[in-house]
Amino acid sequence: MTAVIQTQNLSKWYGNVLGLSDVTLQIEPGITGILGPNGAGKSTFLKLITGQIKPNIGRVMIHGQNVWNNYAMFAQIGFCPEQDSFYEELTGWQFLTNLLKLHHFSPEDINAKAEIALDIVELTKDKDRVIRSYSRGMRQRLKVGQAIAHDPNIIILDEPLNGLDPLGRRKIIRLIKEYKGEGRMIVVSSHVLPEIEAMTNRIILIHQGKVFAQGDIHYIRDLIETHPHIVSIKCSQSRLLAEKFIGYDYVLKVHFDLQKKSLLVETNNRDKFFSLLPSLFIDNNIEVEEITSPDDNLQAVFDYLIGK
Amino acid sequence: MTIKEKGYTHWDGELKDGRFPWWPITRFGIKLTFKRKFFKFLFALTLLPALVWLVGIYISERLEDFSFMVRGDQTDFLNVNPSYFNTYFTNDFLLFMMIMILVFCGAGLISDDLKHNALQLYFARPLKKQDYLFGKAAVIFFFLFILTLVPGLIFILMKLIFAGNFKFINSYPWLPLSIIVYSTLLTSFFALYTLLLSSVGKNRRYVAILIFGIYIFSDIFYGIFYGIFRSQYFSLLSIKVNLQQVGAVLFNQRTPQNVPWLYSLLIILGICVLSGLFLNKKVKGVEIIK
Amino acid sequence: MTQSDTRKFSFFLQSAKDVFVFFFSLAKKVRKTKIFFFISFLPVFMAFVVKFSQIFSLARNIEGIYIFNNMIMMFYMQFLILILALFYGTSVSSEELEGKTLTYLTTRPVSKSAIIIGKYLAYTGLVIIMTTLGVVFSFLVLNLNELYELSLYKILLRDVAVLGLGLMCYTAFFTFVGTILKRSIMFGLVFSFGWENVIQYFPGSTQKFTIVHYLKSLLPSPSTGRFSFLLFRLEPSSTGNSVFMLFLITGVFLGLACILFTFKEYIMED
Repeated sequence: MTAVIQTQNLSKWYGNVLGLSDVTLQIEPGITGILGPNGAGKSTFLKLITGQIKPNIGRVMIHGQNVWNNYAMFAQIGFCPEQDSFYEELTGWQFLTNLLKLHHFSPEDINAKAEIALDIVELTKDKDRVIRSYSRGMRQRLKVGQAIAHDPNIIILDEPLNGLDPLGRRKIIRLIKEYKGEGRMIVVSSHVLPEIEAMTNRIILIHQGKVFAQGDIHYIRDLIETHPHIVSIKCSQSRLLAEKFIGYDYVLKVHFDLQKKSLLVETNNRDKFFSLLPSLFIDNNIEVEEITSPDDNLQAVFDYLIGK
Repeated sequence: MTIKEKGYTHWDGELKDGRFPWWPITRFGIKLTFKRKFFKFLFALTLLPALVWLVGIYISERLEDFSFMVRGDQTDFLNVNPSYFNTYFTNDFLLFMMIMILVFCGAGLISDDLKHNALQLYFARPLKKQDYLFGKAAVIFFFLFILTLVPGLIFILMKLIFAGNFKFINSYPWLPLSIIVYSTLLTSFFALYTLLLSSVGKNRRYVAILIFGIYIFSDIFYGIFYGIFRSQYFSLLSIKVNLQQVGAVLFNQRTPQNVPWLYSLLIILGICVLSGLFLNKKVKGVEIIK
Repeated sequence: MTQSDTRKFSFFLQSAKDVFVFFFSLAKKVRKTKIFFFISFLPVFMAFVVKFSQIFSLARNIEGIYIFNNMIMMFYMQFLILILALFYGTSVSSEELEGKTLTYLTTRPVSKSAIIIGKYLAYTGLVIIMTTLGVVFSFLVLNLNELYELSLYKILLRDVAVLGLGLMCYTAFFTFVGTILKRSIMFGLVFSFGWENVIQYFPGSTQKFTIVHYLKSLLPSPSTGRFSFLLFRLEPSSTGNSVFMLFLITGVFLGLACILFTFKEYIMED
């Protein structure tokens, strides 16, 4: 798949403070999650790829075109910024329609698109209220609404789920997945790992202005050789199972968790280990209650990569 | 295991308010003002009149050394008396520069808090409304006292030092009190004026324009009406002239306008009271949007 | 001009028009506009007071047109249009940065120059309407007895045009100042009430370094008299030259504002 967004040696400083350092990336169509703690450089990265700020070194290209001062490409890009700021005196409807006018749509199209966007973000009932009277969640939904109203192919969302209640979050996540299904490209940033996990497996991990990892979550996990996989097995004969594991060289450690009454196994080859398990259980008549991978998730990947 | 067993003991003492709860607001406001670019330059410029008047006091005691500057026996202009002080405190340049200081340091005092919804943060602490307002006003007091009260008292001190005797203070024993009263009145008025306008909007630029514009406009208004009606009573429309009227009275001088000075004082106090009432209503922890 | 240049230009004009419509309607809703409208109408109140006083013989019988030219016009020209142009001119870029709403505009298929031009036109249009209404009503009130005199309307049209040119020029200048400086208000106040006033005292060509010189050159020479305190020593330029210079200043500063806004990076503090 050809990359839509490409960055080359992208670096940005704010005076003496490093925002982003030497980021060379290619982002392909689909949903890509930009992950990192606060101050990692996620917003800086998104501002660079949407041309809000200029890189000090390097460049950003979308569909092979330079982004900075290339206003024409915003016909196909929708951006939801992180900051909570609006033209407070306008109503939700006026806000959307006025911004849609800047896309040179016809009046009928503007009205139709605004209705659809408000419907998607569930603000139709409150469209004639001034934005100043909106709650935090409504303001966030309106921000998402203005990013999608003009039907862009590329949607860039900076912390889109901030301030939303759990139901609101689920709806936006579902929307993002629907957009992926329609063939659009979505780049979404967050510091909340379960949110990203719920949307996509493809992540870019940013920390202290640098890209630590890029790719599928599980693929990245497998690459972290310094942190063997941990598998937790709750079963009837844990000691017997432990005895059987000892003979395999890809089982590095076996630990009994007396409190949870489970067996914790460290392995450096997850696939082989999981292939072994069924035969061991059947041959030794072991009743299994539960098998989990406590560290096969984004949190663990994140913690391992940033060295926690 | 109960909390007591873990070593926790209930404290029966009385919760006391901090002695000066407004002080952190003032300190921060002053620090923030000094951090602004060009403020130090502007502030230095406002001290120019004080420097000139101080030099005048020195020259007044060394007239023989500066006789080349004086034509004949005309030394009246360097006669350091209450009129000299009145001229300093009511001169147009000083009042204008005070307004510029207010634009710089006062415009954002409350408007920035309104813009960032910081009032809720302030009033979520053990801070009363009057502490908040006093803390903000004290920022203005700090800067304006440096232009009024401090130079006034330094002039008296320097006069005594240069003269080498207490003749001056014996001749005008009420002068220090006049300086204190007028400085306090002037500063209080400008503090309330600035805070009132700062609470009107969330946009600091807009507030800055209002602070400057209303002051200048009141004077223009007076000029226009005086030009038509030729009545000095229209001077009551001008903030500057009202302050000059009261200043003249406090320094035992003839008022610049032939209008009872009490009217000017009432107008100044009236504006102060209205500002106080408006601020009391406007400054709240929660904003209700209709 | 090639076809693609023509297309680009018409696209630019369309964008500027859309921005103009957006911000003109937004500015009308804002409370500040209502307050500035009120301030613009204070001379109308003054005019009513003067007129009533003259009717009840409380004031000297001075010709309405004299008061209008020497006081009302001077109030607008030496105070109000400066204040309005300073606020609205600097608002063109500053309010987007202060309000952190710049992102919504720069992520649309609209050039940054179109944003500046559109907003400038919106705000200039608004302040011209404000002052024109105030001037016209003041004029009508003060000249209530001479409304049949058609020659007076020439004066009104001239004065409205001069104020319009002044607003156009000052707003363009302050648009540029707002784009380049963070603390634009302080600079604007020093320029408006310092430079523009003080330099007029200087004889010769130095006066030509102010905008107010060209505006005053379009008005008749002031009579000496009690209102001369409002006017300073003037060595006027010709009408044609003054109008040309005002348009030139407008064009230059607006152009500079567009260039600066396009290439300057604005970092909004989080």
